[in-house]
Amino acid sequence: MRWQAFSDPVQDGQRHFRQVLAAMAEPGTLHDAAAPAVPEDAAIAPALWATLLSLCDLDTSLWIAPGLEAGGLADAVTFHTGCRLASAPDEADFALVTPGVLAGPGRDSTPAFAEGSDAYPDRGSTLLVVLDTLAEGGHWRLAGPGIPDSRDLDVGEATPLMTRLAANQVRFPRGLDAILGCGERLVAIPRSTRIEASVSATPEEDRACTSQ
Amino acid sequence: MNGYNFAYLDEQTKRMIRRGLLKAVAIPGYQVPFGGREMPMPYGWGTGGMQLTASILGQDDVLKVIDQGADDTTNAVSIRAFFERVAGVDTTTATTEADVIQTRHRIPETPLAAGQILVFQVPIPEPLRFIEPSEEETRVMHALEEYGVMHVKLYEDIARHGHIATTYAYPVKVDGRYVADPSPIPKFDNPKLHMSDALMLFGAGREKRLYAIPPHTRVESLDFEDHPFEVQEWGESCALCGARDSFLDEVITDDQGGRMFVCSDTDYCQRRQEEVA
Repeated sequence: MRWQAFSDPVQDGQRHFRQVLAAMAEPGTLHDAAAPAVPEDAAIAPALWATLLSLCDLDTSLWIAPGLEAGGLADAVTFHTGCRLASAPDEADFALVTPGVLAGPGRDSTPAFAEGSDAYPDRGSTLLVVLDTLAEGGHWRLAGPGIPDSRDLDVGEATPLMTRLAANQVRFPRGLDAILGCGERLVAIPRSTRIEASVSATPEEDRACTSQ
Repeated sequence: MNGYNFAYLDEQTKRMIRRGLLKAVAIPGYQVPFGGREMPMPYGWGTGGMQLTASILGQDDVLKVIDQGADDTTNAVSIRAFFERVAGVDTTTATTEADVIQTRHRIPETPLAAGQILVFQVPIPEPLRFIEPSEEETRVMHALEEYGVMHVKLYEDIARHGHIATTYAYPVKVDGRYVADPSPIPKFDNPKLHMSDALMLFGAGREKRLYAIPPHTRVESLDFEDHPFEVQEWGESCALCGARDSFLDEVITDDQGGRMFVCSDTDYCQRRQEEVA
């Protein structure tokens, strides 16, 4: 099977963007993307593939973490969107990663991403994170703009990711914005979100989005 | 659609604006530069708002456009007709039925609902511009959170008039960080920015800046402890619907000094009149 594009690039691209916008405006809310199919050996979620299709073009650069090119993603994304592939993570507008990549084998080898400057914080990268679990509840508590009181999010084994995003708070307005994808499901955590590990961690059944 | 791409702008421009909007939402109140395009009308008529609307609009959206609260004024009628023609979307005048509301200088009286998007037309996005004309300087001031001069301006108002005389485009602080210009809405509307259920996007076409206030976000109007922020009040009620809680326009009715006060939000006023009838 091949990487599918949007069947209607204009309308489908707009629809997907609005979901990402809603996700970014209300961090921690779940959104189900009507995403085109990805090959069976692909390492990335359809939700993130749709995000690449709707946001990338020849003005953007993408860094793909090692291991995530499976299924010929690099060729597919350049063919469908025309975006450039960045050789280093800090040169990319978008970076496809897993929580494991953010942990890195050693502390010093954790990839550095562009976080923008105090004058131009918008030049920071957007992380597109491939997750195995993405659900409400869980032991990460989100607060801040877009969240009435607080929201709990379950991201599975993704402590390096949440630690990295929680560190945004001390650098604000510089920082990394993240779009998390698991299957067709999508959640965004912008840099304005305050993250802490909540104590009431209750494991829930049927939390893996791929189980549906 | 008559030789236009859907919603007038080409897809690459829309994607550029969409990426900018995501950054704007992620950094509430920060002005994101974008490559503004020429629109088929002059700057100052809402080209910034139109570019944002064109970038977010889908074929299933229902669009409402208001100008100073009214659905039936020139700017509102033209922009509504423009999107009917280039996007083929349904339009409405009812605040509750709209998915996207483009506005010039008002926030509707009817509280906005979750999922609605309000797009503001902004003439001058930089709240510090009248104090510091240099873009380079104001950018550094935002970076360093150096906003003392804004309070000096408000203080000068108090020194001269005895009260803060700024009545529109009243500066706000978004989520305790960025000072932003809420566009020239009357300060009467400022409290509606705070913890709104709807997403608010701001577009300035000539200055090529866009910024956002996400829903459920703290928005404080700048003030002093001994001169707290206050909104204006009218001794009158609306001559058409009797509303006392809405923003009123003064209308001169003759050359004998006759005048009346009516709601600036025409949809709100009409709905109240229908309820009474």
